[in-house]
Amino acid sequence: MNLQFVVDGLLTGSMIGLGAIGVTLTYAILRFSNFAHGDFMAWGTYATLAVVGAIGAMVGKVAPLGPFSFGWPLLVALAVGCALTGLLALALDAVLFSRLRARGQSIIVVMASFGASMALRSLLEFIFTSRPTYFSRAIQIAMPVGFGIRITPDQIALLVLTAVLVAATHLLMTRTQTGRSMQAVSQNPALARVVGIDVARVVRATWMLGAALACVAGTMVGILVQIRPLMGFDMLLPMFAAAILGGIGSVPGAVLGGLIIGLAEAAAVQFVGAEWRAAVSFVILMAVLFVRPIGLFGVKER
Amino acid sequence: MSGPVLQVDGLVAGYEPGVPIVRGASIRVERGEIVVVLGPNGAGKSSFIKAIAGLVPVSAGKVLLDGTDITAVPAHRMVRMGLAFVPQTENIFPLMSVDDNLKTAGGILKSKEAAERIARMYDTFPDLRTFRRTAAGNLSGGQRQMLAVARALIVEPKLLVLDEPSAGLSPKLVSMVFSMLSDIRKAGVTILLVEQNARAALAIGDRAYVLVEGREAHEGVASELWNDPVVAELYLGQRPQPSTGGAA
Ligand SMILES: Nc1ncnc2c1ncn2[C@@H]1O[C@H](COP(=O)(O)OP(=O)(O)OP(=O)(O)O)[C@@H](O)[C@H]1O
Ligand SMILES: [Mg+2]
Repeated sequence: MNLQFVVDGLLTGSMIGLGAIGVTLTYAILRFSNFAHGDFMAWGTYATLAVVGAIGAMVGKVAPLGPFSFGWPLLVALAVGCALTGLLALALDAVLFSRLRARGQSIIVVMASFGASMALRSLLEFIFTSRPTYFSRAIQIAMPVGFGIRITPDQIALLVLTAVLVAATHLLMTRTQTGRSMQAVSQNPALARVVGIDVARVVRATWMLGAALACVAGTMVGILVQIRPLMGFDMLLPMFAAAILGGIGSVPGAVLGGLIIGLAEAAAVQFVGAEWRAAVSFVILMAVLFVRPIGLFGVKER
Repeated sequence: MSGPVLQVDGLVAGYEPGVPIVRGASIRVERGEIVVVLGPNGAGKSSFIKAIAGLVPVSAGKVLLDGTDITAVPAHRMVRMGLAFVPQTENIFPLMSVDDNLKTAGGILKSKEAAERIARMYDTFPDLRTFRRTAAGNLSGGQRQMLAVARALIVEPKLLVLDEPSAGLSPKLVSMVFSMLSDIRKAGVTILLVEQNARAALAIGDRAYVLVEGREAHEGVASELWNDPVVAELYLGQRPQPSTGGAA
Protein backbone atom coordinates (compact mmCIF):
# COMPACT_ATOMS: atom_id res chain seq x y z
CA MET A 1 0.00 0.00 0.00
CA ASN A 2 1.17 3.50 -0.79
CA LEU A 3 1.52 5.43 2.45
CA GLN A 4 2.08 8.83 0.87
CA PHE A 5 -1.26 9.99 2.26
CA VAL A 6 0.23 9.79 5.76
CA VAL A 7 2.76 12.54 5.04
CA ASP A 8 0.24 14.60 3.12
CA GLY A 9 -2.27 14.16 5.90
CA LEU A 10 0.15 15.11 8.67
CA LEU A 11 1.12 18.25 6.79
CA THR A 12 -2.45 19.34 6.11
CA GLY A 13 -3.28 18.33 9.66
CA SER A 14 -0.48 20.49 11.06
CA MET A 15 -1.82 23.57 9.33
CA ILE A 16 -5.40 22.81 10.39
CA GLY A 17 -4.25 22.05 13.93
CA LEU A 18 -2.23 25.25 14.37
CA GLY A 19 -5.22 27.22 13.09
CA ALA A 20 -7.63 25.29 15.30
CA ILE A 21 -5.69 26.27 18.45
CA GLY A 22 -6.77 29.88 17.90
CA VAL A 23 -10.35 28.84 17.16
CA THR A 24 -10.59 26.73 20.30
CA LEU A 25 -9.01 29.35 22.59
CA THR A 26 -11.17 32.16 21.24
CA TYR A 27 -14.22 30.01 21.78
CA ALA A 28 -13.22 28.94 25.30
CA ILE A 29 -12.01 32.31 26.57
CA LEU A 30 -13.93 34.92 24.57
CA ARG A 31 -16.96 32.67 24.14
CA PHE A 32 -17.68 33.08 20.48
CA SER A 33 -16.91 31.35 17.18
CA ASN A 34 -14.56 33.65 15.35
CA PHE A 35 -15.31 33.20 11.66
CA ALA A 36 -12.59 35.72 10.84
CA HIS A 37 -9.89 33.36 12.12
CA GLY A 38 -9.24 31.98 8.64
CA ASP A 39 -8.71 35.50 7.39
CA PHE A 40 -6.15 36.12 10.14
CA MET A 41 -4.35 33.22 8.51
CA ALA A 42 -4.47 34.80 5.06
CA TRP A 43 -3.56 38.26 6.35
CA GLY A 44 -0.65 36.80 8.29
CA THR A 45 0.60 35.08 5.18
CA TYR A 46 0.37 38.20 3.04
CA ALA A 47 2.01 40.22 5.81
CA THR A 48 4.87 37.71 5.87
CA LEU A 49 5.07 37.85 2.07
CA ALA A 50 5.20 41.64 2.15
CA VAL A 51 7.99 41.63 4.73
CA VAL A 52 9.94 39.07 2.67
CA GLY A 53 9.57 41.44 -0.27
CA ALA A 54 10.70 44.42 1.80
CA ILE A 55 13.77 42.56 3.05
CA GLY A 56 14.52 41.50 -0.53
CA ALA A 57 14.28 45.12 -1.65
CA MET A 58 16.71 46.16 1.09
CA VAL A 59 19.39 43.46 0.99
CA GLY A 60 18.93 41.93 -2.45
CA LYS A 61 18.66 38.27 -3.21
CA VAL A 62 19.46 35.91 -0.35
CA ALA A 63 20.51 32.29 -0.88
CA PRO A 64 18.20 29.64 0.58
CA LEU A 65 19.21 27.93 3.82
CA GLY A 66 20.71 24.48 3.17
CA PRO A 67 18.28 22.19 1.36
CA PHE A 68 15.25 24.43 2.00
CA SER A 69 13.38 26.64 -0.47
CA PHE A 70 13.62 29.68 1.82
CA GLY A 71 16.35 31.80 3.36
CA TRP A 72 16.62 33.75 6.60
CA PRO A 73 14.40 36.58 5.33
CA LEU A 74 11.37 34.28 5.49
CA LEU A 75 12.10 33.38 9.12
CA VAL A 76 12.43 37.03 10.09
CA ALA A 77 9.35 37.90 8.06
CA LEU A 78 7.38 35.14 9.75
CA ALA A 79 8.18 36.54 13.19
CA VAL A 80 7.16 40.03 12.06
CA GLY A 81 4.08 38.58 10.34
CA CYS A 82 3.02 36.88 13.59
CA ALA A 83 3.31 40.16 15.47
CA LEU A 84 1.37 42.04 12.78
CA THR A 85 -1.39 39.42 12.74
CA GLY A 86 -1.60 39.73 16.51
CA LEU A 87 -1.96 43.48 16.17
CA LEU A 88 -4.67 43.02 13.53
CA ALA A 89 -6.60 40.78 15.93
CA LEU A 90 -6.15 43.27 18.78
CA ALA A 91 -7.29 46.15 16.58
CA LEU A 92 -10.35 44.24 15.43
CA ASP A 93 -11.15 43.37 19.04
CA ALA A 94 -10.77 46.96 20.16
CA VAL A 95 -13.00 48.50 17.49
CA LEU A 96 -15.51 45.68 17.06
CA PHE A 97 -15.59 42.52 19.16
CA SER A 98 -14.98 43.92 22.64
CA ARG A 99 -17.79 46.44 22.29
CA LEU A 100 -20.25 43.79 21.16
CA ARG A 101 -18.99 41.30 23.77
CA ALA A 102 -19.77 43.82 26.48
CA ARG A 103 -23.45 43.57 25.50
CA GLY A 104 -23.33 39.89 26.27
CA GLN A 105 -24.97 38.34 23.21
CA SER A 106 -22.51 35.98 21.61
CA ILE A 107 -24.52 35.45 18.42
CA ILE A 108 -24.06 39.14 17.56
CA VAL A 109 -20.30 38.80 18.01
CA VAL A 110 -20.34 35.72 15.76
CA MET A 111 -22.20 37.60 13.04
CA ALA A 112 -19.78 40.51 13.41
CA SER A 113 -16.87 38.12 12.92
CA PHE A 114 -18.57 36.86 9.76
CA GLY A 115 -18.76 40.41 8.48
CA ALA A 116 -15.18 41.09 9.47
CA SER A 117 -14.16 37.93 7.63
CA MET A 118 -15.73 39.12 4.40
CA ALA A 119 -14.27 42.59 4.75
CA LEU A 120 -10.76 41.29 5.46
CA ARG A 121 -10.96 38.91 2.51
CA SER A 122 -12.17 41.56 0.08
CA LEU A 123 -9.47 43.92 1.26
CA LEU A 124 -6.82 41.30 0.51
CA GLU A 125 -8.25 40.74 -2.97
CA PHE A 126 -8.29 44.48 -3.50
CA ILE A 127 -4.66 44.94 -2.43
CA PHE A 128 -3.07 41.76 -3.78
CA THR A 129 -5.65 40.61 -6.41
CA SER A 130 -7.03 37.09 -6.23
CA ARG A 131 -4.24 35.65 -8.38
CA PRO A 132 -2.27 32.99 -6.46
CA THR A 133 1.30 33.81 -5.54
CA TYR A 134 4.23 31.96 -3.96
CA PHE A 135 7.05 32.46 -1.50
CA SER A 136 9.39 30.64 -3.87
CA ARG A 137 9.03 29.07 -7.27
CA ALA A 138 11.94 26.74 -6.73
CA ILE A 139 11.01 23.08 -7.18
CA GLN A 140 12.13 20.86 -4.34
CA ILE A 141 13.08 17.27 -4.91
CA ALA A 142 11.08 14.92 -2.70
CA MET A 143 13.27 12.26 -1.11
CA PRO A 144 11.98 8.72 -0.94
CA VAL A 145 12.00 7.48 2.67
CA GLY A 146 10.48 4.01 2.21
CA PHE A 147 6.91 2.60 2.17
CA GLY A 148 6.33 4.59 -1.01
CA ILE A 149 6.62 7.84 0.95
CA ARG A 150 8.36 10.89 -0.49
CA ILE A 151 9.02 14.01 1.52
CA THR A 152 10.74 17.35 0.80
CA PRO A 153 13.12 19.16 3.17
CA ASP A 154 10.56 21.97 3.53
CA GLN A 155 7.92 19.50 4.60
CA ILE A 156 10.21 17.98 7.23
CA ALA A 157 11.10 21.44 8.55
CA LEU A 158 7.46 22.45 8.82
CA LEU A 159 6.45 19.24 10.60
CA VAL A 160 9.23 19.87 13.13
CA LEU A 161 8.18 23.51 13.50
CA THR A 162 4.60 22.42 14.17
CA ALA A 163 5.72 19.94 16.82
CA VAL A 164 7.83 22.60 18.55
CA LEU A 165 5.05 25.20 18.46
CA VAL A 166 2.45 22.78 19.76
CA ALA A 167 4.70 21.68 22.62
CA ALA A 168 5.52 25.30 23.46
CA THR A 169 1.86 26.30 23.39
CA HIS A 170 0.94 23.36 25.60
CA LEU A 171 3.64 24.30 28.11
CA LEU A 172 2.52 27.91 28.01
CA MET A 173 -1.06 26.89 28.78
CA THR A 174 -0.24 24.46 31.59
CA ARG A 175 2.97 25.70 33.21
CA THR A 176 2.91 29.48 33.09
CA GLN A 177 0.89 32.06 34.94
CA THR A 178 -0.41 33.41 31.63
CA GLY A 179 -1.68 29.98 30.65
CA ARG A 180 -3.26 29.33 34.02
CA SER A 181 -4.93 32.74 33.81
CA MET A 182 -6.31 31.82 30.39
CA GLN A 183 -7.69 28.57 31.78
CA ALA A 184 -9.14 30.45 34.74
CA VAL A 185 -10.95 32.98 32.55
CA SER A 186 -12.36 30.22 30.36
CA GLN A 187 -13.71 28.37 33.41
CA ASN A 188 -15.10 31.29 35.40
CA PRO A 189 -14.40 34.90 34.38
CA ALA A 190 -15.94 36.42 37.52
CA LEU A 191 -13.86 34.23 39.83
CA ALA A 192 -10.80 34.97 37.71
CA ARG A 193 -11.22 38.65 38.53
CA VAL A 194 -11.69 37.84 42.20
CA VAL A 195 -8.35 36.02 42.33
CA GLY A 196 -6.61 39.01 40.78
CA ILE A 197 -6.51 38.16 37.09
CA ASP A 198 -6.80 41.10 34.70
CA VAL A 199 -9.28 39.65 32.21
CA ALA A 200 -8.52 42.31 29.60
CA ARG A 201 -4.87 41.20 29.60
CA VAL A 202 -5.86 37.56 29.21
CA VAL A 203 -8.09 38.51 26.28
CA ARG A 204 -5.17 40.27 24.61
CA ALA A 205 -2.87 37.29 25.18
CA THR A 206 -5.49 34.99 23.67
CA TRP A 207 -5.78 37.11 20.53
CA MET A 208 -2.01 37.40 20.14
CA LEU A 209 -1.42 33.68 20.57
CA GLY A 210 -4.25 32.56 18.28
CA ALA A 211 -3.38 35.09 15.59
CA ALA A 212 0.34 34.29 15.66
CA LEU A 213 -0.33 30.58 15.24
CA ALA A 214 -2.77 31.39 12.42
CA CYS A 215 0.01 33.34 10.71
CA VAL A 216 2.37 30.38 11.01
CA ALA A 217 -0.30 28.00 9.67
CA GLY A 218 -1.02 30.31 6.74
CA THR A 219 2.66 30.72 5.94
CA MET A 220 2.99 26.94 5.92
CA VAL A 221 0.18 26.76 3.38
CA GLY A 222 1.98 29.48 1.43
CA ILE A 223 5.27 27.57 1.43
CA LEU A 224 3.79 24.16 0.60
CA VAL A 225 0.86 25.09 -1.62
CA GLN A 226 0.19 28.68 -2.64
CA ILE A 227 -0.91 32.05 -1.32
CA ARG A 228 -4.45 33.21 -2.14
CA PRO A 229 -6.83 35.65 -0.41
CA LEU A 230 -9.26 32.76 0.06
CA MET A 231 -6.69 30.40 1.58
CA GLY A 232 -7.80 31.01 5.15
CA PHE A 233 -11.50 31.03 4.50
CA ASP A 234 -11.15 27.67 2.79
CA MET A 235 -9.67 26.24 5.99
CA LEU A 236 -12.41 27.56 8.25
CA LEU A 237 -14.54 24.42 8.23
CA PRO A 238 -11.61 22.03 8.82
CA MET A 239 -10.36 24.26 11.64
CA PHE A 240 -13.74 24.39 13.37
CA ALA A 241 -14.21 20.65 12.86
CA ALA A 242 -10.77 20.06 14.43
CA ALA A 243 -11.49 22.32 17.42
CA ILE A 244 -14.83 20.62 18.07
CA LEU A 245 -13.44 17.13 17.48
CA GLY A 246 -10.64 17.82 19.95
CA GLY A 247 -12.94 19.34 22.54
CA ILE A 248 -13.44 23.10 22.86
CA GLY A 249 -10.72 24.74 24.94
CA SER A 250 -8.20 21.91 24.58
CA VAL A 251 -4.94 22.79 22.81
CA PRO A 252 -3.77 19.16 22.42
CA GLY A 253 -7.31 18.31 21.32
CA ALA A 254 -7.29 20.94 18.60
CA VAL A 255 -3.98 19.65 17.25
CA LEU A 256 -5.01 16.01 17.40
CA GLY A 257 -8.32 16.94 15.78
CA GLY A 258 -6.41 18.76 13.05
CA LEU A 259 -4.17 15.76 12.41
CA ILE A 260 -7.14 13.38 12.28
CA ILE A 261 -8.95 15.61 9.81
CA GLY A 262 -5.80 16.11 7.75
CA LEU A 263 -5.18 12.37 7.59
CA ALA A 264 -8.81 11.65 6.78
CA GLU A 265 -8.76 14.22 3.98
CA ALA A 266 -5.56 12.81 2.53
CA ALA A 267 -6.88 9.27 2.77
CA ALA A 268 -10.11 10.32 1.06
CA VAL A 269 -8.12 11.92 -1.74
CA GLN A 270 -5.92 8.88 -2.22
CA PHE A 271 -8.49 6.10 -1.83
CA VAL A 272 -11.85 7.64 -2.74
CA GLY A 273 -11.25 10.61 -4.97
CA ALA A 274 -10.08 14.21 -4.70
CA GLU A 275 -13.61 15.55 -5.08
CA TRP A 276 -14.50 14.05 -1.67
CA ARG A 277 -11.88 16.01 0.23
CA ALA A 278 -14.15 18.92 1.10
CA ALA A 279 -16.80 16.57 2.52
CA VAL A 280 -14.44 15.04 5.09
CA SER A 281 -14.50 17.91 7.61
CA PHE A 282 -18.24 18.18 7.34
CA VAL A 283 -18.81 14.46 7.88
CA ILE A 284 -16.45 14.38 10.86
CA LEU A 285 -18.01 17.51 12.34
CA MET A 286 -21.49 16.04 12.08
CA ALA A 287 -20.36 12.71 13.50
CA VAL A 288 -18.77 14.40 16.53
CA LEU A 289 -21.80 16.57 17.17
CA PHE A 290 -24.09 13.55 17.11
CA VAL A 291 -21.92 11.01 18.90
CA ARG A 292 -19.80 12.98 21.36
CA PRO A 293 -20.51 16.72 21.26
CA ILE A 294 -17.88 17.48 23.88
CA GLY A 295 -15.15 16.08 21.61
CA LEU A 296 -12.18 13.89 22.42
CA PHE A 297 -10.67 15.91 25.27
CA GLY A 298 -13.73 17.95 26.10
CA VAL A 299 -15.15 18.20 29.59
CA LYS A 300 -18.75 18.77 30.53
CA GLU A 301 -19.50 22.29 31.65
CA ARG A 302 -19.44 22.57 35.40
CA MET B 1 -2.25 52.31 60.35
CA SER B 2 -4.93 52.55 63.01
CA GLY B 3 -8.64 52.92 62.39
CA PRO B 4 -10.99 50.31 60.98
CA VAL B 5 -9.78 47.80 58.41
CA LEU B 6 -13.00 48.25 56.49
CA GLN B 7 -15.40 51.11 56.56
CA VAL B 8 -18.44 51.21 54.30
CA ASP B 9 -20.55 54.36 54.23
CA GLY B 10 -23.98 54.59 52.62
CA LEU B 11 -23.22 52.10 49.87
CA VAL B 12 -25.72 52.02 47.01
CA ALA B 13 -25.18 49.34 44.37
CA GLY B 14 -27.11 47.25 41.86
CA TYR B 15 -26.85 45.21 38.71
CA GLU B 16 -28.87 47.53 36.48
CA PRO B 17 -28.91 51.33 36.49
CA GLY B 18 -31.76 52.69 38.59
CA VAL B 19 -32.43 49.37 40.32
CA PRO B 20 -30.43 49.52 43.55
CA ILE B 21 -30.21 46.23 45.46
CA VAL B 22 -27.92 47.63 48.13
CA ARG B 23 -29.63 50.78 49.40
CA GLY B 24 -27.31 52.79 51.59
CA ALA B 25 -25.63 50.16 53.73
CA SER B 26 -22.92 51.14 56.23
CA ILE B 27 -20.69 48.85 58.26
CA ARG B 28 -17.32 48.94 59.97
CA VAL B 29 -14.83 46.15 60.66
CA GLU B 30 -12.08 46.73 63.22
CA ARG B 31 -8.67 45.09 63.06
CA GLY B 32 -8.70 41.48 64.22
CA GLU B 33 -12.48 41.25 64.35
CA ILE B 34 -14.86 38.75 62.88
CA VAL B 35 -17.88 40.73 61.76
CA VAL B 36 -20.97 38.85 60.67
CA VAL B 37 -23.62 40.10 58.24
CA LEU B 38 -26.96 38.36 58.69
CA GLY B 39 -30.19 38.78 56.87
CA PRO B 40 -33.10 36.98 55.28
CA ASN B 41 -32.86 35.40 51.83
CA GLY B 42 -32.67 37.99 49.12
CA ALA B 43 -31.82 40.80 51.54
CA GLY B 44 -28.89 41.71 49.33
CA LYS B 45 -26.10 40.28 51.49
CA SER B 46 -24.23 38.75 48.57
CA SER B 47 -24.79 41.86 46.46
CA PHE B 48 -23.47 43.98 49.31
CA ILE B 49 -20.17 42.19 49.68
CA LYS B 50 -19.84 41.75 45.93
CA ALA B 51 -20.14 45.52 45.66
CA ILE B 52 -17.39 45.89 48.27
CA ALA B 53 -15.24 43.49 46.22
CA GLY B 54 -15.80 45.50 43.05
CA LEU B 55 -18.05 42.96 41.32
CA VAL B 56 -21.30 44.94 41.42
CA PRO B 57 -21.42 48.54 40.15
CA VAL B 58 -21.59 51.11 42.96
CA SER B 59 -23.65 54.26 42.36
CA ALA B 60 -23.14 56.03 45.68
CA GLY B 61 -21.31 55.67 48.96
CA LYS B 62 -17.78 54.83 49.91
CA VAL B 63 -15.65 51.80 50.74
CA LEU B 64 -12.44 52.41 52.68
CA LEU B 65 -9.94 49.60 53.19
CA ASP B 66 -7.41 50.49 55.85
CA GLY B 67 -8.13 54.14 55.13
CA THR B 68 -7.70 53.84 51.36
CA ASP B 69 -10.69 54.54 49.15
CA ILE B 70 -11.30 51.37 47.13
CA THR B 71 -14.80 52.20 45.91
CA ALA B 72 -13.77 52.46 42.28
CA VAL B 73 -10.99 49.87 42.30
CA PRO B 74 -11.68 47.16 39.68
CA ALA B 75 -12.32 43.68 41.07
CA HIS B 76 -9.06 42.19 39.79
CA ARG B 77 -7.02 44.74 41.75
CA MET B 78 -8.72 44.08 45.09
CA VAL B 79 -6.32 41.32 46.11
CA ARG B 80 -3.44 43.73 45.57
CA MET B 81 -5.21 46.26 47.80
CA GLY B 82 -5.47 43.58 50.51
CA LEU B 83 -9.05 42.41 50.15
CA ALA B 84 -9.59 38.72 49.41
CA PHE B 85 -13.08 37.49 48.60
CA VAL B 86 -14.54 33.98 48.73
CA PRO B 87 -17.78 33.94 46.72
CA GLN B 88 -20.86 32.02 47.83
CA THR B 89 -20.86 29.55 44.92
CA GLU B 90 -18.45 28.55 42.16
CA ASN B 91 -15.50 29.71 44.21
CA ILE B 92 -12.91 27.33 42.73
CA PHE B 93 -11.80 26.51 39.18
CA PRO B 94 -13.26 23.01 38.78
CA LEU B 95 -11.14 21.78 35.87
CA MET B 96 -7.83 22.91 37.35
CA SER B 97 -5.87 20.90 39.86
CA VAL B 98 -5.84 22.02 43.49
CA ASP B 99 -2.24 23.10 42.99
CA ASP B 100 -3.07 25.19 39.91
CA ASN B 101 -6.00 26.79 41.73
CA LEU B 102 -3.60 27.98 44.42
CA LYS B 103 -0.95 29.04 41.90
CA THR B 104 -3.51 31.06 39.98
CA ALA B 105 -4.24 33.01 43.17
CA GLY B 106 -0.51 33.49 43.73
CA GLY B 107 -0.27 35.26 40.38
CA ILE B 108 0.26 38.65 42.00
CA LEU B 109 3.25 37.35 44.01
CA LYS B 110 6.80 36.53 43.04
CA SER B 111 6.88 32.86 42.11
CA LYS B 112 9.22 31.91 44.96
CA GLU B 113 7.04 33.70 47.49
CA ALA B 114 3.94 32.06 46.02
CA ALA B 115 5.53 28.61 46.28
CA GLU B 116 6.42 29.17 49.95
CA ARG B 117 2.93 30.34 50.82
CA ILE B 118 1.33 27.45 48.93
CA ALA B 119 3.55 25.04 50.89
CA ARG B 120 2.37 26.71 54.11
CA MET B 121 -1.27 26.35 53.02
CA TYR B 122 -0.66 22.64 52.51
CA ASP B 123 0.66 22.47 56.08
CA THR B 124 -2.48 24.19 57.33
CA PHE B 125 -4.79 22.09 55.14
CA PRO B 126 -3.16 18.66 54.76
CA ASP B 127 -6.22 17.39 52.84
CA LEU B 128 -5.38 19.79 50.05
CA ARG B 129 -1.85 18.45 49.81
CA THR B 130 -3.23 14.92 49.45
CA PHE B 131 -5.36 16.03 46.52
CA ARG B 132 -2.99 18.56 45.03
CA ARG B 133 -3.03 16.92 41.59
CA THR B 134 -6.76 16.26 41.60
CA ALA B 135 -9.10 18.43 39.56
CA ALA B 136 -10.73 20.72 42.10
CA GLY B 137 -14.17 19.86 40.74
CA ASN B 138 -13.75 16.35 42.14
CA LEU B 139 -13.26 17.54 45.72
CA SER B 140 -15.97 17.14 48.36
CA GLY B 141 -17.94 20.17 49.44
CA GLY B 142 -15.86 20.70 52.56
CA GLN B 143 -12.57 20.35 50.69
CA ARG B 144 -13.75 22.83 48.06
CA GLN B 145 -14.52 25.34 50.77
CA MET B 146 -11.05 24.74 52.27
CA LEU B 147 -9.47 25.28 48.87
CA ALA B 148 -11.44 28.48 48.31
CA VAL B 149 -10.35 29.82 51.69
CA ALA B 150 -6.73 28.72 51.21
CA ARG B 151 -6.76 30.42 47.82
CA ALA B 152 -7.97 33.65 49.40
CA LEU B 153 -5.36 33.49 52.19
CA ILE B 154 -2.41 33.04 49.81
CA VAL B 155 -2.25 36.77 49.24
CA GLU B 156 -2.18 37.40 53.02
CA PRO B 157 -5.07 39.84 52.86
CA LYS B 158 -5.83 42.61 55.32
CA LEU B 159 -9.43 41.55 55.14
CA LEU B 160 -10.93 38.16 54.27
CA VAL B 161 -14.50 38.42 53.01
CA LEU B 162 -16.58 35.24 52.85
CA ASP B 163 -20.07 34.70 51.46
CA GLU B 164 -21.88 31.86 53.25
CA PRO B 165 -18.94 29.48 53.57
CA SER B 166 -21.17 26.95 55.35
CA ALA B 167 -23.89 26.81 52.68
CA GLY B 168 -24.66 23.30 51.53
CA LEU B 169 -22.33 21.59 54.00
CA SER B 170 -23.26 18.86 56.47
CA PRO B 171 -23.47 19.92 60.15
CA LYS B 172 -20.11 18.31 60.88
CA LEU B 173 -18.44 20.23 58.05
CA VAL B 174 -20.19 23.40 59.11
CA SER B 175 -18.51 23.25 62.49
CA MET B 176 -15.21 22.42 60.80
CA VAL B 177 -15.50 25.51 58.60
CA PHE B 178 -16.33 27.76 61.53
CA SER B 179 -13.50 26.47 63.67
CA MET B 180 -11.22 26.99 60.67
CA LEU B 181 -12.36 30.62 60.44
CA SER B 182 -11.85 31.02 64.15
CA ASP B 183 -8.26 29.75 63.77
CA ILE B 184 -7.64 32.08 60.84
CA ARG B 185 -8.72 35.01 62.97
CA LYS B 186 -6.40 33.86 65.75
CA ALA B 187 -3.62 33.97 63.20
CA GLY B 188 -4.35 37.68 62.83
CA VAL B 189 -6.66 37.92 59.82
CA THR B 190 -9.65 40.26 59.98
CA ILE B 191 -12.82 38.62 58.68
CA LEU B 192 -16.10 39.85 57.23
CA LEU B 193 -18.54 36.98 57.06
CA VAL B 194 -21.99 36.75 55.47
CA GLU B 195 -24.03 33.89 56.88
CA GLN B 196 -27.47 32.32 56.90
CA ASN B 197 -26.37 30.09 59.72
CA ALA B 198 -26.80 32.80 62.32
CA ARG B 199 -26.20 30.66 65.38
CA ALA B 200 -22.85 29.27 64.29
CA ALA B 201 -21.70 32.59 62.86
CA LEU B 202 -22.62 34.56 65.96
CA ALA B 203 -20.77 31.99 68.07
CA ILE B 204 -17.45 32.89 66.46
CA GLY B 205 -18.22 36.54 65.58
CA ASP B 206 -17.43 39.67 67.58
CA ARG B 207 -20.06 41.97 66.15
CA ALA B 208 -22.87 41.52 63.69
CA TYR B 209 -25.09 43.50 61.38
CA VAL B 210 -28.50 42.51 60.16
CA LEU B 211 -29.11 43.52 56.58
CA VAL B 212 -32.73 43.96 55.48
CA GLU B 213 -33.78 45.20 52.06
CA GLY B 214 -30.34 46.36 51.17
CA ARG B 215 -29.42 48.29 54.29
CA GLU B 216 -28.29 47.49 57.78
CA ALA B 217 -31.30 47.33 60.07
CA HIS B 218 -29.53 46.37 63.22
CA GLU B 219 -26.07 46.22 64.71
CA GLY B 220 -24.83 44.58 67.86
CA VAL B 221 -22.37 42.46 69.79
CA ALA B 222 -22.52 38.97 68.33
CA SER B 223 -23.16 37.14 71.57
CA GLU B 224 -26.05 39.45 72.47
CA LEU B 225 -27.61 39.62 69.05
CA TRP B 226 -28.72 36.03 69.20
CA ASN B 227 -31.15 36.86 72.01
CA ASP B 228 -32.22 40.15 70.47
CA PRO B 229 -35.96 40.26 69.72
CA VAL B 230 -35.39 41.97 66.37
CA VAL B 231 -33.14 39.18 65.18
CA ALA B 232 -35.44 36.59 66.67
CA GLU B 233 -38.25 37.98 64.59
CA LEU B 234 -36.19 38.06 61.39
CA TYR B 235 -35.18 34.51 61.87
CA LEU B 236 -38.52 33.29 63.11
CA GLY B 237 -39.14 29.86 61.71
CA GLN B 238 -35.58 29.65 60.47
CA ARG B 239 -34.14 29.63 63.91
CA PRO B 240 -32.50 26.28 64.58
CA GLN B 241 -33.14 24.25 67.73
CA PRO B 242 -30.48 24.79 70.38
CA SER B 243 -29.36 21.17 70.22
CA THR B 244 -28.48 21.12 66.49
CA GLY B 245 -25.59 22.81 64.79
CA GLY B 246 -28.10 24.77 62.77
CA ALA B 247 -28.55 24.74 59.05
CA ALA B 248 -29.49 27.44 56.62
N1 LIG C 1 -26.51 38.88 38.94
C1 LIG C 1 -27.68 39.47 39.30
N2 LIG C 1 -28.36 40.22 38.40
C2 LIG C 1 -29.51 40.84 38.75
N3 LIG C 1 -30.08 40.74 39.96
C3 LIG C 1 -29.46 40.01 40.89
C4 LIG C 1 -28.23 39.33 40.61
N4 LIG C 1 -27.84 38.68 41.72
C5 LIG C 1 -28.78 38.93 42.66
N5 LIG C 1 -29.76 39.72 42.17
C6 LIG C 1 -30.95 40.21 42.91
O1 LIG C 1 -30.51 40.92 44.04
C7 LIG C 1 -31.35 40.66 45.15
C8 LIG C 1 -30.50 40.29 46.36
O2 LIG C 1 -29.81 39.07 46.08
P1 LIG C 1 -28.57 38.61 46.92
O3 LIG C 1 -28.02 37.39 46.29
O4 LIG C 1 -27.65 39.76 47.11
O5 LIG C 1 -29.26 38.27 48.32
P2 LIG C 1 -28.70 37.41 49.51
O6 LIG C 1 -29.07 38.16 50.72
O7 LIG C 1 -27.28 37.08 49.33
O8 LIG C 1 -29.59 36.10 49.39
P3 LIG C 1 -29.21 34.59 49.81
O9 LIG C 1 -29.42 34.53 51.28
O10 LIG C 1 -30.21 33.78 49.07
O11 LIG C 1 -27.80 34.32 49.41
C9 LIG C 1 -32.31 39.57 44.72
O12 LIG C 1 -33.55 40.17 44.46
C10 LIG C 1 -31.73 39.04 43.45
O13 LIG C 1 -32.75 38.67 42.56
MG1 LIG D 1 -26.17 35.32 49.07
